[in-house]
Amino acid sequence: MTMSFSAPLVKIQSLHKSYGPHIQVLKGLDIEMKPGERVVVIGPSGGGKSTLLRVMMGLEKIDSGSIRFGGKPYISSESADKKTEIDTEVRRSIGMVFQHYTLFPHLSVIQNLILAPCKVRGEAKASATKRAQALLERFGLGAKANAYPAQLSGGQKQRVAIARALMLDPKLMLFDEVTSALDPELVAEVEQVILQLAAQDMPMMIVTHDMWFAKNIASRVIFCAGGVVVEDGPPEQVLGAPKEERTKDFIDRVFHIRH
Amino acid sequence: MALDFSIILRFQEALLLGLWMTVKLTLICIVLGCSLGFFIGLARTSRSALLRAVSSVYVEFFRGTPVLVQLFWIFFCLPLILGVELSNLTSGVIALTLYMGAITSETFRASLKSIGPEQLDACVALGLPRRVQVTNVILPQAVLRAVPTLLSNCVSLFKESALVSAVGMADLMFVGQNISNNTARPIEVLTVVALIYFLIAFPLTRAVTLVERRVLTKLAI
Repeated sequence: MTMSFSAPLVKIQSLHKSYGPHIQVLKGLDIEMKPGERVVVIGPSGGGKSTLLRVMMGLEKIDSGSIRFGGKPYISSESADKKTEIDTEVRRSIGMVFQHYTLFPHLSVIQNLILAPCKVRGEAKASATKRAQALLERFGLGAKANAYPAQLSGGQKQRVAIARALMLDPKLMLFDEVTSALDPELVAEVEQVILQLAAQDMPMMIVTHDMWFAKNIASRVIFCAGGVVVEDGPPEQVLGAPKEERTKDFIDRVFHIRH
Repeated sequence: MALDFSIILRFQEALLLGLWMTVKLTLICIVLGCSLGFFIGLARTSRSALLRAVSSVYVEFFRGTPVLVQLFWIFFCLPLILGVELSNLTSGVIALTLYMGAITSETFRASLKSIGPEQLDACVALGLPRRVQVTNVILPQAVLRAVPTLLSNCVSLFKESALVSAVGMADLMFVGQNISNNTARPIEVLTVVALIYFLIAFPLTRAVTLVERRVLTKLAI
């Protein structure tokens, strides 16, 4: 994908999304993300964070608004019939990791990794397996290639899920509360893998409740509440010295004492 | 009256022929019934209201009536409606296949429903085309999840197959009844017949537990 350096990687404009007639989750969201940015989205539950990521992955229909990716139209619902248009080619350049791993339980770790490259891109099995093995080694999972998901710990499952998404060489990674379902002692191993990707300038958007992780990985933090962006800025500002009262309240409650 | 099981040896061959008929009938109806059940299971979860309605009526009818009545109806009424003679075997196969189709369709429907929406989310996130989603992700999981219940369905069918003796099919039960009538030794003959059914059904029920323990625990599905 070619794009000029200053062009935004993602441009979300006036995004509206509701579940049924009464529950409006996103109420006109505008976000621009530059290439190489690592955006952490924080905010109270029900504030629309996960919905935003699901919409960006093309898993949810939208009511109105648009998303452009790498300068190309990606998702829109601007036609008269309110149908959500998704460019599936563009979607393939985005990878997502979910809270509950979502590995395919009937496939071994290596089969989970090579399914999409072989079936979507038509890559030869041998070459996909070689790449998958290398990726697993890098994430400390080399010995688990032939294990089934049920034989792995939560942390290992989540690392496999990240490796599976990376097999398609995404231009953007979405992480939706990927450590929320893990036992506390397993959180670090997953966060280390994401930090490793960050060090290689992988653009990412992360929804997390872990403020330590947010502080360490974010190049920018967005505080989202009530379906809109309340505050958007560098981590030192949003997490350290928020300007908005609602952000301050939230940060105080999460950190207990702001640091 | 002294029990004398040695008389069974005289009818060894007849009993084996009866058993072969029972096994043959069961195997034919397992293959046909499971295939029918799979498509009916899909039809019951289909988007088409017509397909859902037709398949529901079929399943509820066959689940809600005694197998013996279904068998008699197919044996006596179907030839009158169609105007053709049906052999005992054909009637038996039709009746038990329709019965098996109805019960396995519920098994397949439940296993299809038990695959969470997050599996489909993962498919979309990986850009898998619809065909790959179905053949590589949904179907294998649905079939694996269905295996223990399907095995139980097969055991049920094997036992229910004894009902075909009522329409004169020479299965194990029919042969057993005949020998028992001719020898006036119902205790010996029917006990041996029961034991033969048990010796085949019991390992199958154990297999259900084994599959549950080995395969499904390993895959946690």
